[in-house]
Amino acid sequence: MSSTTEAPAALKKNYLTALKEALDEEMARNKLMLCQGEDIGRLGGAFGVTEGLQAKYGENRVVDMPISEAAIVGSAVGMALNGMTVMAEMQFIDFISCGFDQIVNMMATYHYRTAGEVHIPVVVRGPAGAYGGGALYHSQMNEAWFCNSPGLKVVCPSTPYDAKGMLKAALRDGNPVIFYEIKELYRKREIEEELPTDDYIVPLGKAAVRREGKDVTLVSYGQNVYHCLDAATELEKLGISAEVIDIRSLVPLDEDTIFNSIAKTSRVIVVNEAPMTCGFAGELVARISTKAFHLLDAPPSRVTRMDTPVPWVKPLELHVLPTVDKIVAEAVRVVKF
Amino acid sequence: MKPSQALSKEDCLEIFNQLYLARYFDVRLIKEKKRGRLRGTLYSSHNQEAVLVGSLFGLQPTDWISPIHRDMPAFFMKDFRFGVDNPDRLGMSIEEVCCQVWGKVDSPGRARDNWSHIGSKSKKIIHSTSMLAGTIPVAAGVVYADRMQGGNAVCLTYNGEGSTAQGIFHEALNYAAVHKLPVITIVENNQWAYGTPVEMECPTPDVADRAKGYGMLGLIADGQDVFDVYDKVMEAVAHARAGNGPAIVECKTFRAYGHGDHDDDRAMKYRPSAEIEAGRKRDPIAVCRQKLIDLGYLTGDAKNAYIAEGKNAGDATNDDFPPHVVEYLNKGIEFAIQSPVPAAEEAEQWVFWNGGSK
Repeated sequence: MSSTTEAPAALKKNYLTALKEALDEEMARNKLMLCQGEDIGRLGGAFGVTEGLQAKYGENRVVDMPISEAAIVGSAVGMALNGMTVMAEMQFIDFISCGFDQIVNMMATYHYRTAGEVHIPVVVRGPAGAYGGGALYHSQMNEAWFCNSPGLKVVCPSTPYDAKGMLKAALRDGNPVIFYEIKELYRKREIEEELPTDDYIVPLGKAAVRREGKDVTLVSYGQNVYHCLDAATELEKLGISAEVIDIRSLVPLDEDTIFNSIAKTSRVIVVNEAPMTCGFAGELVARISTKAFHLLDAPPSRVTRMDTPVPWVKPLELHVLPTVDKIVAEAVRVVKF
Repeated sequence: MKPSQALSKEDCLEIFNQLYLARYFDVRLIKEKKRGRLRGTLYSSHNQEAVLVGSLFGLQPTDWISPIHRDMPAFFMKDFRFGVDNPDRLGMSIEEVCCQVWGKVDSPGRARDNWSHIGSKSKKIIHSTSMLAGTIPVAAGVVYADRMQGGNAVCLTYNGEGSTAQGIFHEALNYAAVHKLPVITIVENNQWAYGTPVEMECPTPDVADRAKGYGMLGLIADGQDVFDVYDKVMEAVAHARAGNGPAIVECKTFRAYGHGDHDDDRAMKYRPSAEIEAGRKRDPIAVCRQKLIDLGYLTGDAKNAYIAEGKNAGDATNDDFPPHVVEYLNKGIEFAIQSPVPAAEEAEQWVFWNGGSK
């Protein structure tokens, strides 16, 4: 999405390769960096994000961990306390709940409670998101839990360019970062793109305008960005011009890009596959309502997952999730308001 | 030969001295709290001092510790052997610890969290939280990183018997054992986890038995005998430092008072007085004194000088302690009292690191 000229297919890289390159390059430049997680060494990870890293960097720096998310995170915090940078993989982001206490009580608070003596360069990353038939425990977007825990940065890239640049930025950030990867995007051909050969980062806390428009702003992140882009194409046929914003980073949040867009469109819909109640869409609507109310010609709206778990079979799954049709219908309603 | 048999007379007398320091810290703070000069809760280490003194005494300056709520004296006693006035000593000063207790700006954490929730990266003390056994995986990570960087440090983590019921206790020990990490888990088995007796926490009489399941060393120490604690911890440290993996050292002891001072009155009811009396019969200062008399290190008037043992905090006076012990704490308390409270705006600081350093 970031490259404007067509590159030869062979040079285009998918989202998963982008992540792998980020880890490889950071491991090469930082000898005090370590990767750990379940099945990440010998196997190369359940999805292959760490493939080849153990052969290259050794068993001490690419560590196969016992099945304990709490030990994976807790020991990463100890390593960070003693001078290292750690990538801690959750095999599925759903399993992050098993390491919850170590994340929110140990890791997130460390800098605060030591009055700045200690900072924790740990990136907890893992595959997230629904739409793939993963059912209740392989489909979650549970980012709101961590946005509600001060001290954690929370990000979710949607393109290969961002996946690489943001993972590198996260690993250099010095703060604990919860890094949501979208597993449905890992090998998605349509979004493959050429990546810069030189070292680059994408700063955390900067939103991206993915499509410009003037009638309504669709705010989203992760794979819902593509639902919004598809909806914008449909809306265009109806004579409605939609602007699509990919916030990329939830904490810290780039409010200006959102408000600047609303200043132009005066209407906004937040699209998010996490459940509605206390989800991040609610936070975005609250910020817009309290800080950009004067810019609005219609109440801010949201299209989210229903307040249900994510069911397994396709009709049920799509029933509870945001879809292009649901976004289009809501946009038509909001524009007519 | 047991490690304690290699201790010099000076070492043994220093150990005795440290028992007084730990006891006086406790006695004095209980008195200060009763006078209304302190806020927050006190978690007394009374009657458990031998565990702290005996476990800390043989550590190297490069070693790490991870104390919890009932281990407050460990913060200033770490590396004490190196000389209390040595500025390079890798332990906290009594001033820092008192500022933490008093909630003052000169506390290592600028009074952002209470009681034992402090630590120091530079002094190799892991910062505790309220989540029991939660620092064991952190300790494992610390020594993993130390090993990666060519070090040979061990880490002692302190835990109550109650915390052995936590999932993270198992998860962290399992991980440490798989990687043969030099983490020594001291279990201060004081028979009571807040208001719950040990038999409702642990299905086996000895926590140390759990070591077998991880293929690690499991030892039991008489927690009232500072030299037995020293011997068992030194055995575990030597085992771990040689690359043989982690260990559990269970120290059998008894909690003198309530869980915290807020619980003192109720603890007298949920624990039968006969049990309290039996549990406190062997005061660690008295046990050590007898040992030093037997060794001929305490003779004449010194044998019966400063009888601090067998006394409740309310009954003990400054005359029961060597003057330099009282003076040491006075210095810390005076400093803490004049140290300011942090500015309210500091509450917003240090949520995120911005690339600067303290």
